[in-house]
Amino acid sequence: MLPDEILTQLDKQYPCREFQIQQLASLYFSNLPSPPLLIAHGLTATGKTSIIKSLLALSTIPHTIINLQECITGRHLLERTVSSVLDALDEYNDERIDRRPYSRTENLSVLANHLQKILEGHKKFVLVFDGIDKQREAPYTFLPGLARFSELIPALSLILITTLPISLELRKPGTPHLPFPPYSRSSLLTILSQNPPKIFLTQPSEEQYPDYTPDLAAEDDAWLWGRFLGAVYDSLSKHTGRDLVSFRNTSLRLWRDFVAPVVDGTFGTRDFSRLMVNRRHIFQGEEAVLDRIISSQNAENESAQTHSTAIIKKKRDVGMQHDLPYYSKYLLISAYLASYNPSRTDSTYFMKHTDRRKNKRKVNTNAGATKSKHRRIARHLLTPSPFPLDRVLAIFRGLIDGPVPQLADIYTQIATLTSMRLLVRVGGVGGDALEAGARWRVNFGWEWVRGLGRGVGIEVGEYLVGGVDV
Amino acid sequence: MEYERCYIYTPPETDERAPKRRRINKANSQAQLQERIQIYRETWFHQQERIQATLEEADRVTLEKIINFVSASAQTDYAEPVSIPTGLVIAGPSIASHGPFFERLGRKIKDETNSAYFLLNSGDSSNLKTFLKNLIKKAMSRVDADDEDDLGRIGSSSRNGPKLLDFDLGHLQEWHARSRADRIVVAIQDSEAFDANLLVEIIELFYSWLDRLPFVLLFGIATSAESFEDRLTGKAPRYLQGQKFNVTQSDEIIEKLFSATIASTDVSLRIGPNLSRRILERQKDHVQNVQDFSDSLKYAYMSHFYANYPSLFLKQDITFKDLPPDVFEATRNLPSFRRRVEDMLDSGRAQEVRKLLDSDQYLFENIVEHVQSGQEVLSALSTAGMVIVRVRQALQMSAQVPLSSIWIRAASGEMMGSPLLRETMLSIKKAPSDRLAQLLSSLEDLEGIDFPVDLKAYRKDLDELNKDNTTSTPLRSQHDVRNDNLRTTVVAQKVLLSKHKAALSERDKAYSELVGHFHDELDTYFTTAFIDPRALFLSEILMYDLKSPHTEVFQPKPRFAIERALASPHDYLGCDCCGDADGGRDADAALSATQPATAIIYRLYLESGSLINVSDLWSAFNALAGEEEDAESKTMALFQRAIAELKYLGLLKPSKKKIDHAAKVMWKGL
Ligand SMILES: Nc1ncnc2c1ncn2[C@@H]1O[C@H](COP(=O)(O)OP(=O)(O)O)[C@@H](O)[C@H]1O
Ligand SMILES: [Mg+2]
Repeated sequence: MLPDEILTQLDKQYPCREFQIQQLASLYFSNLPSPPLLIAHGLTATGKTSIIKSLLALSTIPHTIINLQECITGRHLLERTVSSVLDALDEYNDERIDRRPYSRTENLSVLANHLQKILEGHKKFVLVFDGIDKQREAPYTFLPGLARFSELIPALSLILITTLPISLELRKPGTPHLPFPPYSRSSLLTILSQNPPKIFLTQPSEEQYPDYTPDLAAEDDAWLWGRFLGAVYDSLSKHTGRDLVSFRNTSLRLWRDFVAPVVDGTFGTRDFSRLMVNRRHIFQGEEAVLDRIISSQNAENESAQTHSTAIIKKKRDVGMQHDLPYYSKYLLISAYLASYNPSRTDSTYFMKHTDRRKNKRKVNTNAGATKSKHRRIARHLLTPSPFPLDRVLAIFRGLIDGPVPQLADIYTQIATLTSMRLLVRVGGVGGDALEAGARWRVNFGWEWVRGLGRGVGIEVGEYLVGGVDV
Repeated sequence: MEYERCYIYTPPETDERAPKRRRINKANSQAQLQERIQIYRETWFHQQERIQATLEEADRVTLEKIINFVSASAQTDYAEPVSIPTGLVIAGPSIASHGPFFERLGRKIKDETNSAYFLLNSGDSSNLKTFLKNLIKKAMSRVDADDEDDLGRIGSSSRNGPKLLDFDLGHLQEWHARSRADRIVVAIQDSEAFDANLLVEIIELFYSWLDRLPFVLLFGIATSAESFEDRLTGKAPRYLQGQKFNVTQSDEIIEKLFSATIASTDVSLRIGPNLSRRILERQKDHVQNVQDFSDSLKYAYMSHFYANYPSLFLKQDITFKDLPPDVFEATRNLPSFRRRVEDMLDSGRAQEVRKLLDSDQYLFENIVEHVQSGQEVLSALSTAGMVIVRVRQALQMSAQVPLSSIWIRAASGEMMGSPLLRETMLSIKKAPSDRLAQLLSSLEDLEGIDFPVDLKAYRKDLDELNKDNTTSTPLRSQHDVRNDNLRTTVVAQKVLLSKHKAALSERDKAYSELVGHFHDELDTYFTTAFIDPRALFLSEILMYDLKSPHTEVFQPKPRFAIERALASPHDYLGCDCCGDADGGRDADAALSATQPATAIIYRLYLESGSLINVSDLWSAFNALAGEEEDAESKTMALFQRAIAELKYLGLLKPSKKKIDHAAKVMWKGL
């Protein structure tokens, strides 16, 4: 393809990036030597990866792109670079280079050596490192070292893609930078309105609406989608995820809900303002801007099948879906109380022979009196404090009516709850998990423990020092 | 001996006999053990098969759903993958059963879809590198099972050039190119135990490879899908898209297992009500674990056959010749044998008793006959339990009572006259005809079971009655409350409520008769079926109901054991010097110098607060255990050793708060 054709195609594929595409083309497509090093930087989803990748793929320059996120260690990065460069050249020249000399790449200077040897006699080779800031275990000499590669290897052109400009770390002034600024509102709308989704998943039947042709439908789709995008941006994405991908996901998530009245015939396809009024609630919730594994559509299908869950679905339960063993529940409640009550109050709250109610009220009024002087934050809103294991066991025995034998099962349950991360050991990991001196913390919240308590007939708030006003 | 580094300790030989010795019984407790083990194996084999079948049946629906999800997720074009197909498998808090579940899932996925399946858990994945290494190892061993030394080096081409590092997903790519699996299912069994950052790293890496490798992720979750999602930070949730699958709750599975094993109608050895109740309660209160349930069952079976000589009689086709005379002697010592003999004497059958006592042959015939009939009685009892469950289901009675609890009540002989049974019988009387029809068909489904009521006849009569019922309302029985009218009359300023039977139609009357008859027949049936099985002759052979070895094996009390041993050492030492002086009653309170030093210190430890002043402790100890002035160094040695032992047991640790204090770590009785 001629450079000009490539340009038009890319401009069409990636609108609003004419400047960057132009720059890249002029730097790499001409017969003049390409810059030895270029930094392409911009926030996420600004098209860096895709544009550079497409541009190089359409050109006739031998190249390879290394995604640093896929490199697990520094050594891994070096090894991968060598083999990818070899692979790319093999493919480009349709021949096999003898690989024996390159079987090991221990460090950056060996890499330079290898590349020097491999690229000997080549005119130009573009090596792209994508996601410099994602590199794991990067040696601190990595970037300055890379920057000097061009001095050793004239044929090599490096492109580094990062989210932030990194000229300082390079310690090499005068490196050209190519910024990919975040898209403005109008650019976002232009890009996304390129592929409007359909209003009608199945085209309305021809007998009923003979004049509604697919062309007409496509026109409606584009019109409504364009308006809708504007509304989504102004109400949601402006404040939350402004990048292209978040915006696209949010819009797609809302779309079917938005056009539902059109599909069922309540409104016409061009009744945008009435649609907006009718569907305003979908722009008010947070559901659409959150990334969830189980999409709301899936969840709805599921709840349609088992409608008993539909009612409780609204309330997200962060705790358990399966029932825990009886004593495990008590252990968790005790652990919660141990985390949030100061230990000196334990004897008033849990001693079997004291009258719980009387003491409780006394403490409560005390707390109320101090509250008026200087405001206290309710305990359950603070972070949990660590407690030793015996305290939980003591509270556990205080909570349960009647004796519980000192079975090993109790310890098994604590271990199980720990591997479920409902209880977390603080500090020293390793050693005996149930060692008496270890300290623990709970890893669940007030709402959940309250529900757990109600399941076994305990109002946890009554045992919490200072009480809870719900 | 101080100059030697180590030496062999030879205790001084004494002629004294050990203070307590076990009575050595001449009778051979191992008699016929091989035969009994053989019977055990056969019996347990059947139970195990049932357990296996029940488990597979319980998971079937969930497994099918997951498999459908996996096979639907085939990515035909790799052009622009949007997200990794992800299944969140909510497997519940019974962590021990997750492993077998994921293994079954893996087998099924490999059998039914063209996918590779790799199961990974937190144990072999402390960081991203080891996680990938393990994943790749699993993939490679699948293909190169025969040439192991090639592991990690792929293909002949790379032997001479740069080779892939052993955590490079490139291995998986090459492997995938050869294996041509449609997708690569990676199951992460215990997602909670994974570090959240590691999960995010894995997801991001897999997503980045998704254009080359068709990954499908399955996460095993013990808590809930929401808490799993909440742990993923950054963009990770965006990269996943999928469904959630609920594994059957373990209490449901346990109930099914109970019906299939303990309450089943054709088992030769039954687990008695007390032990069953114990096993079930443990499941409810402490652990929810299918494996544990089947283990306790297995242990009960082993205990019965290994330790009970007369269990030999459970062998099928047993002949008199095979049996040594001892076993008859053992049988004559069984409590139920004695009871029977007494009963026979009471009814004046002394002649037979004589024969039972004298003739092994006669006893043998008797035993065989009674084992046989006892089995039948017990299986009739199980059937009756099932009938009750069916009745309650068909009549849609409000309180759901599971078979397990009905069976346990029946097996402890508490069923007759219980409110549960009365309530059930009452609602049969009241049942309208449509419910009765349901009940009949539900009972007809109880196939292959000895049920004396002639259901077909009732069905015929009911159809007859229904034939000329033109309205859609079902026929009502006379006991149905809807037929009662309350009438209020005011007589001398008092309100009188009186019930009046609404006039019954002819057909309703006929129906009432039918229901009444059915009720009576069921009633007699239950009366014959619900006997107290423990009163059966030879119930010791037919039923195992001992609590003792079960509790010690499955519910040990380690902390209690240590605390008790330290608090009352004389119970274990069996010496005369400590405690027992005043009859042993108050032994717990007495603190004497003759006790081991550790026990003395422990008693002082119990009396002190959470910080213990070591010097005070020493003076107290010295006052108690110290002998003479000059022996102080010996006392000190004892003291230090005792302290070290308490520290070793985890009861005591040095305190940072005060330098000369030790912190108390464990309280007694927790
Ligand atoms: N100008 C554009 N026109 C169309 N699509 C775009 C444009 N810019 C980015 N995208 C799309 O946005 C997504 C993210 O782009 P990507 O190149 O991965 O961004 P970056 O590498 O900057 O994070 C891709 O699907 C890409 O196709
Ligand atoms: Mg990128």
